[in-house]
Amino acid sequence: MTTPAIPEGVKRCGSRQFLLWLGVAALVVLWGVYAMYRIWFYGLNQTNMNNAYGFALWIWADLAVIALGGGAFFSGFLAYIIGLKNVKNIINFAVILGVVCYTSALLILGLDVGQPLRGWFIFWHANVHSMLTEVAFCLSVYLGVLIIEFIPVLLENPKIQKVRFFHHLSHNMHEIMAVFAATGVFLSFFHQGSLGGVPGVLYGRPFAFREGLFVWPWTFFLFTWSAAAVGPLFTASMCRLTEAITRKKLVKDDVYHLLAKISGWMLLTYIIAKSIDTIYWATVTAPSMGFALMDFYSNNPLYNIWILVAEIAVCGFLPALILITRKGRENKKLLFGAAILAIIGLLINRWVMVLQVMAAPLMPFQEEWFMYSPAWTEVATSILPIAYGIILISLAYRYLPLFPQEKELNPGN
Amino acid sequence: MEKIPSHTKKRHFGMVIDLDKCTGCASCMVACYSENNISFRDEESVKMLSTNWIQVFKLTNGKPFPDTEVCYLPKPCMQCDGKHFGHSPCVSVCPAVATDFDYPTGIVSQIYTRCFGCRYCMAACPYHARKFNWWDPVWPADMEKYLSPDVSPRMRGVVEKCTFCYHRFQRARQQAYNEGRPEDIREDEYQTACTQACPSNAITFGDLDNPDHAVYKLKNSRYAFRLLERLNTNPSVYYLSTREWVHRAADNYLEHEQPAFSEEQQA
Amino acid sequence: MKIDRRCFLSLAGGLVAGHLLSPVPWKVTDDLSIWTQNWPWTPVPETGPVAWKETVCTMCPGGCGIKVRMIKDRVIKIEGSEDYPINRGSLCPLGYSSIQYLYGPSRVTSPMKRTGERGSGKFEPVSWDEAISEVSGKLDALRKNGQSHTVACISGSDKGTVPLLFKRFLEAYGSPNFIRTPSGQDAHETAAYLAQGHSDKNVGFDLENATFILSFGCGLLDGGGAPGYQFSTYSRFDRRHTLVQVEPRLSNTAAKAKKWLAAKPGTEGALALGLARVIIENGLYNRNFIENHSFGFEDWTDDNGAIHMGFKRMVSEYTPSRVAGITGLEARQIESLARDFARAQKPVAVCGYNECRAVADIDKTLAVHALNALVGNINQSGGMIVFPDPEYTVSPVEKDRIASTGLTKPRADMAGTDKYPQSRYLLNLLPDILMSAKESDLPVQALLVTGANPVYTLEDSTTAQAAFAKIPFIVSFSSFMDETAQYADIILPDHHFLEGYRDVPPPEGVGKPITGLSKPVVSPRYDTRNTGDTIIDIARKMGGSISNSFPWDGYEAFLKEALKDQYRDLSRNGYVENVEKPAALDVAFATDSGKYEFYPTRRHTTGNGDEAKLPGFKETDVPGKETSGGVILIAYKSPRIASGAVANPPFMTKTIDADMLKKEKLFIQINPETAGKLNLKQGDEAVIETSAGKASVKVDLYDGIMPGLAAMPAGLGHTAYSRYIAGKGVNVNALLQPVADPTYGINKAWGIRAQLKKA
Repeated sequence: MTTPAIPEGVKRCGSRQFLLWLGVAALVVLWGVYAMYRIWFYGLNQTNMNNAYGFALWIWADLAVIALGGGAFFSGFLAYIIGLKNVKNIINFAVILGVVCYTSALLILGLDVGQPLRGWFIFWHANVHSMLTEVAFCLSVYLGVLIIEFIPVLLENPKIQKVRFFHHLSHNMHEIMAVFAATGVFLSFFHQGSLGGVPGVLYGRPFAFREGLFVWPWTFFLFTWSAAAVGPLFTASMCRLTEAITRKKLVKDDVYHLLAKISGWMLLTYIIAKSIDTIYWATVTAPSMGFALMDFYSNNPLYNIWILVAEIAVCGFLPALILITRKGRENKKLLFGAAILAIIGLLINRWVMVLQVMAAPLMPFQEEWFMYSPAWTEVATSILPIAYGIILISLAYRYLPLFPQEKELNPGN
Repeated sequence: MEKIPSHTKKRHFGMVIDLDKCTGCASCMVACYSENNISFRDEESVKMLSTNWIQVFKLTNGKPFPDTEVCYLPKPCMQCDGKHFGHSPCVSVCPAVATDFDYPTGIVSQIYTRCFGCRYCMAACPYHARKFNWWDPVWPADMEKYLSPDVSPRMRGVVEKCTFCYHRFQRARQQAYNEGRPEDIREDEYQTACTQACPSNAITFGDLDNPDHAVYKLKNSRYAFRLLERLNTNPSVYYLSTREWVHRAADNYLEHEQPAFSEEQQA
Repeated sequence: MKIDRRCFLSLAGGLVAGHLLSPVPWKVTDDLSIWTQNWPWTPVPETGPVAWKETVCTMCPGGCGIKVRMIKDRVIKIEGSEDYPINRGSLCPLGYSSIQYLYGPSRVTSPMKRTGERGSGKFEPVSWDEAISEVSGKLDALRKNGQSHTVACISGSDKGTVPLLFKRFLEAYGSPNFIRTPSGQDAHETAAYLAQGHSDKNVGFDLENATFILSFGCGLLDGGGAPGYQFSTYSRFDRRHTLVQVEPRLSNTAAKAKKWLAAKPGTEGALALGLARVIIENGLYNRNFIENHSFGFEDWTDDNGAIHMGFKRMVSEYTPSRVAGITGLEARQIESLARDFARAQKPVAVCGYNECRAVADIDKTLAVHALNALVGNINQSGGMIVFPDPEYTVSPVEKDRIASTGLTKPRADMAGTDKYPQSRYLLNLLPDILMSAKESDLPVQALLVTGANPVYTLEDSTTAQAAFAKIPFIVSFSSFMDETAQYADIILPDHHFLEGYRDVPPPEGVGKPITGLSKPVVSPRYDTRNTGDTIIDIARKMGGSISNSFPWDGYEAFLKEALKDQYRDLSRNGYVENVEKPAALDVAFATDSGKYEFYPTRRHTTGNGDEAKLPGFKETDVPGKETSGGVILIAYKSPRIASGAVANPPFMTKTIDADMLKKEKLFIQINPETAGKLNLKQGDEAVIETSAGKASVKVDLYDGIMPGLAAMPAGLGHTAYSRYIAGKGVNVNALLQPVADPTYGINKAWGIRAQLKKA
């Protein structure tokens, strides 16, 4: 008798249904792959970017997936460094989500550069002063760490476990995982921050520019902080979504509550810091360059002041306050409602820090805002990671013991 | 005996553009296309997809007819010195050192074969001086014949920008070297294509730090200003205008603020 | 050995791992990036020894000296020549971009014969022998039929040796129909004839020595006229110089002027008279000139004892307040302008040249000439200069009987006929004449076109196209596939100016008689011939007296003979100055009185009396019906758009602002006030309709244009050349309509009534 590929003691759907599910996702992936072909073969003229919008949807998507993928490092930090054992129940899922997010980020970066075949110049001819260099180095190394973190999970597959070498490898890797987790946390603090530094150092762009500490603008710290706050909420939400799709409980509620509580406090402190930063920027930094706050928001339907209100109040303070109260986080609807708000807030933040920076006119004789809407190629390649993530997570869920609590929560399978 | 002054070794090239003189004719733009092998397409009206190393903008004072005034403003790369000398907004962000601040000349370079097209420099430049090669450059029929070997045509997927015709500096330096005066490049030996092309002599080019050069005096004129000076980019391109509204249009001011130059003060 | 799955996988895995550990991936990565740095489809220009060659640009009639940077046999760059006396280093964008016409897809690369519909651009290449035989055969047949006078030649200029060859050809052949395209010269030549008695002299303005330039709508800095000369003049302006621009729209020239006076269009003549009145009233005129060299200033008595009104009495009616009423300016402005003008060291008043339309208001031109006469600047440094054409020394034409008969026939364009006795060329009338003529009795049976693109540049171009389509045989001598070439039956392509010899006659409007020589800097790239050679070949082929009239081996031989002594200087210096000094005032005027005639006694008028002769202000109405919500459309010149016989090269199109052209749509400028009335906003799609045509445009709100007017740039909306040139915007000529001056026939309409509606 051959060993089943599905982990022992858990129930999975039939292979026909599974293939159908994968097929739908694969179609979306194919669409994205076709867009990739157009872009790599014909060049970036296939997008709607232009010389005013050198950074556009893709850079936003990059910042967004990396921030959301931050769940991996922060859960790792909580589980291995702080030693919150309960978090280990979701850490496998967080790691695989991280792998999806970070590989997607690299793929999008590979599309976004005009000369992908020379992309490695960023390492070879590195400019140590550039935030992007810092991002590239930390990102690549951290992706390596994530893969190392992912390998033991992969090796848990019953078929692979049968090979003696892999069995022992997996065992030994579990032993040293804390070291890698720590490395990952360190790297993440840096690249999340560097990503914040990307807009923050642009002193020619008063909308983005922030003063800071030594070489790091305040956005450096705000980006790390917000990724740490919202990343785990994204992990939790995706986990909850997996539960909804599989119609199974996979993680105990106290795991969610713990993550929500930590994230709630992180989010609250972040949004306070962000508010202080915004006030300082609006009253000191920007005016020194001749800009009043409303210069950045008026005169445009997409980027009016409501986008700031939405980011800070509706998607910042509101979810933070829900999550720090026991009643709030123990109500499932409120908990995940707040999580979704927080995620939207993070997405808005990354959006304005990229696209509004490009949109705001700087020269007074240039009154018009630069407008941009993505081309289908940009949309397709930005959706591609979602479909690819669905496929990878589905495969992982089907063939790997991602959730240690699953057997216990779903007895009788 | 003529002494070679020590400041010729380190130069700081810059431009002074007299906006009262500029007629907006675009000869500078066309001369630049021709000098620097700038490609063109059949569709060039979407300006943010069009490659121009120098572009002439039209400014109006916003007053109704017949008190309307118009001013033309040519905008090359500002060759910013940056917040700290050499820390130009674009140079400091380039991850692959494909653009660099050349300390001996003060010119911001661009290495097309190094650039891998991340466009971070474009995001950093408040002047939109940098242009991306969205398409492969194509010279229809036999137009490749007119390309200059002094400036390499850029491949698709890289960023390009005004270089103050650096190849002309190299040519002048070579000439001076050949003539046994390696450090002594005369003012008229190195002029950019746009400076020479301006049919109304609105552009002056030279070493901003050399008191013998015309730009040295002009940049200190009370009519001189720079574009978006308040961003602390420290551009090497100066403008002259006797009109207050032009000074105001060149930078951002809060409601209660005034540009340094005012016509009333002058009167 | 049996290879099972496990073994295969291990092998494959080992192979991959082995390669990864080897230098192969690194080498491949490196090679790939080196490949991207040397993409074979990104050109690498060949290098080589550099040479500079001097010549003269002929892309427009401006006659700028240029230097050409060459690498081997390739033209790399064109720059203005500092030593050339016209442009003194300045050069316009068209001059810089002219390499894009030497190379590129717009060239006609060999003689062509039309195979498709007129205008469809379908041609087949033919040999020179075949093409010339076809042309001479057609012309010969017409001549044998006694229809030699039905052959016409349209030329962009009537000066220089190539037009001279065409004139000579028509003379030997027997046709009076050499027609110059309309230009600012028309009105100035007429005014010079009326006030100074010269029938074929050039009127120029010595702008470079003037200290006060009063421009009545001249696009001095808008790329018209002789742009190099005008730009170089302006570039040397300092605090002592003043430029005043009178124009209803804030043009580039107006923007650079010390003062911009937005007089209502069509009222410039009244302003000139108002200024004259202030000058006379205050005794600021030049007494020596008025007393010794003028006629008709004061009232005068003719031989019959009748008293005639003088200029002084006539202008006395143009009080500042009345002129203010007519022009929309303030009386105070008019008075101070008149004083500043008259008191300036070297004032000059200019009009007519450099406008994008050839609007020939004879009264206005006479009034402006009179202003110059009042300040006594005629033939003075910094003034209005009148000088003759360069002299050519060629043997007289041999005419046979057919030629002599043909030459006595009236011209097809009615110039010089009883109706328009004092006009020389009236191309603007030709389309209507052709349209109303019967097919059998068409006054033009064959047409030669050289240095002109009338199918595009003639106003009401739709009618012009229909009219040209009726002409049975059209020959184009264009180097480029322009609109008229597309209408031609045979194209006999000329060299690009960098490939052949040509003399460059003094540019119109320039106050110094300089002739230049355009020399080949590269050998011809294609199977083209100098038009001078081609016309000699055609003449030779036709035999008889025509052939006898062209005894030269080729154009160069003719050029040398025609220019005689000047040729040596020309080929050595690139230019010659034809006359040393303008004529002294005692011999300057060829009028009956021998003086400058403020009262132009020779003027051909329909009515009698002093009113008709004197240049009083008469309101000129523009064509079209007046409707509520209407605008008056005017064309304007932009220095970034070539609007003459040669279309805008891609480099210039690249410089056009986004508020002028967006994709294929042209922007029409209107004042925000006008926009409010028409319910239009910035960027709105709109339709403009006139009696001549209709076009869809976008709206650009511009404070600098007079309310009630709508302005479109001239020079866009081409349909020929190449895809880099065609299909951009609208040809404003398709919306305009000329109105013939009743006594001179030249166009006097400065605008046209139009309906502008939201699309």
